[in-house]
Amino acid sequence: MPLLLEIVTPEKRVYSDTIETVVLPTVEGELGILPGHLPLLTQLEPGELRVMKAGEPETLAVGGGFVEVAADKVSVLAESAIDIEEIDETAVEKAMERAQKALSAKAELDPSEVERLESLVRFSAAQLMIKKRRK
Amino acid sequence: MPSTRDIRRRIKSVKNTKQITKAMELVAASKMKKAQNTALAGNPYSLLLSEMLAALEEQVENLRHPFLEAREIKTRGILLITTDKGLCGGLNANLFKAVTSEVDRDAKFVCIGRKGTQFLGRTRRNLLADFSVSEKVDFNEVKVVSEFFTEQYLQREIDTLEIIYPKFVNTLRQEPTVYPLLPLANLRGIVEEMRRQQAENEDEVQAHLRRDEREMIFEPSPHEVLSNLLPLYINQQIYQFVLDAKASEHSARMVAMKTASDNATNLLEELTLEYNKARQAAITQEILEIAAATASNS
Repeated sequence: MPLLLEIVTPEKRVYSDTIETVVLPTVEGELGILPGHLPLLTQLEPGELRVMKAGEPETLAVGGGFVEVAADKVSVLAESAIDIEEIDETAVEKAMERAQKALSAKAELDPSEVERLESLVRFSAAQLMIKKRRK
Repeated sequence: MPSTRDIRRRIKSVKNTKQITKAMELVAASKMKKAQNTALAGNPYSLLLSEMLAALEEQVENLRHPFLEAREIKTRGILLITTDKGLCGGLNANLFKAVTSEVDRDAKFVCIGRKGTQFLGRTRRNLLADFSVSEKVDFNEVKVVSEFFTEQYLQREIDTLEIIYPKFVNTLRQEPTVYPLLPLANLRGIVEEMRRQQAENEDEVQAHLRRDEREMIFEPSPHEVLSNLLPLYINQQIYQFVLDAKASEHSARMVAMKTASDNATNLLEELTLEYNKARQAAITQEILEIAAATASNS
């Protein structure tokens, strides 16, 4: 029985396809899901999401969020998600640098801005880490 | 009868007005398209989020959280979402009508949009705070609002959280709607409702209907997941409402400006006709005078 994977972010539905397995970064560590997995609801950490689809591996970088597994359907609710092929390393590095620079003057920022920047840095770091490992 | 010069002046001013309203119409039309798309794009996320919540509620018995418990309503908390600028037809006026008829005087208000703040000040309502959001609404801008609101709710300053906003039906219709967000007494019903709305757009109800009867595992713990999921849900809902309100605003403005442009076109036609009549009358008058003068001379 195949597994259905759906990744949704506030902007759009990033991924929706039938797959064989998926490995998710969760708060409790990496978690592999195979067809027939027990229903599960857990929290997602920023990191690397690996998909095995038709014998081909695919990798996505995801931001924090939640995962629900039920009836062979994996629903990922993420702040952000991007296919590794689409990651532009230099752009990410620059964005991260800018965010960190802004964060160093933390006192002048309002809390929501700080949070936005921090999540940006986390997501950027995850993207870079994955990209580096692929080389 | 007004002189030809007066009419000419009016024609010129109407033409200018028409130019402005026409430009505003075009700007609003392009913004509307964008706002509508963003509002729609957020739907799957909202749906999935509320589905997770519903699953959680279904699976775990005696779930306890202040957001889920209905309590005696002493003070209603209202979030009023209006526009910053005017010139958008009856959009804000309709919202204010809803406020006047639905909400008693004890309710406490939080407001997004300058028009709402002005209205609440004018009618001397109890305004706790007002926020403004930028043109392209950011998730984090809304987060401040929902954090403020949930804080008030947890401290029992307010006993409900309701949202009054212009619901986007289609380009021509925006309905002022009161939506109760907290307490989340009827989560299941909300999910059903959302699913139905979604199904109108997409044909994938079947996928959602597959249910899993086995018991669900929660990591790290049901309560932990719940206390992280709920604030996100509130946040996302408010964000979605603000997006909806933006789509409504631009649609209403486009329609209002289109009507104004059309009216200006009609007015111009009438004025041109009047101007030509006046001009013709003046010429006829002149010829008559010349003819009379020649006749008396010879």
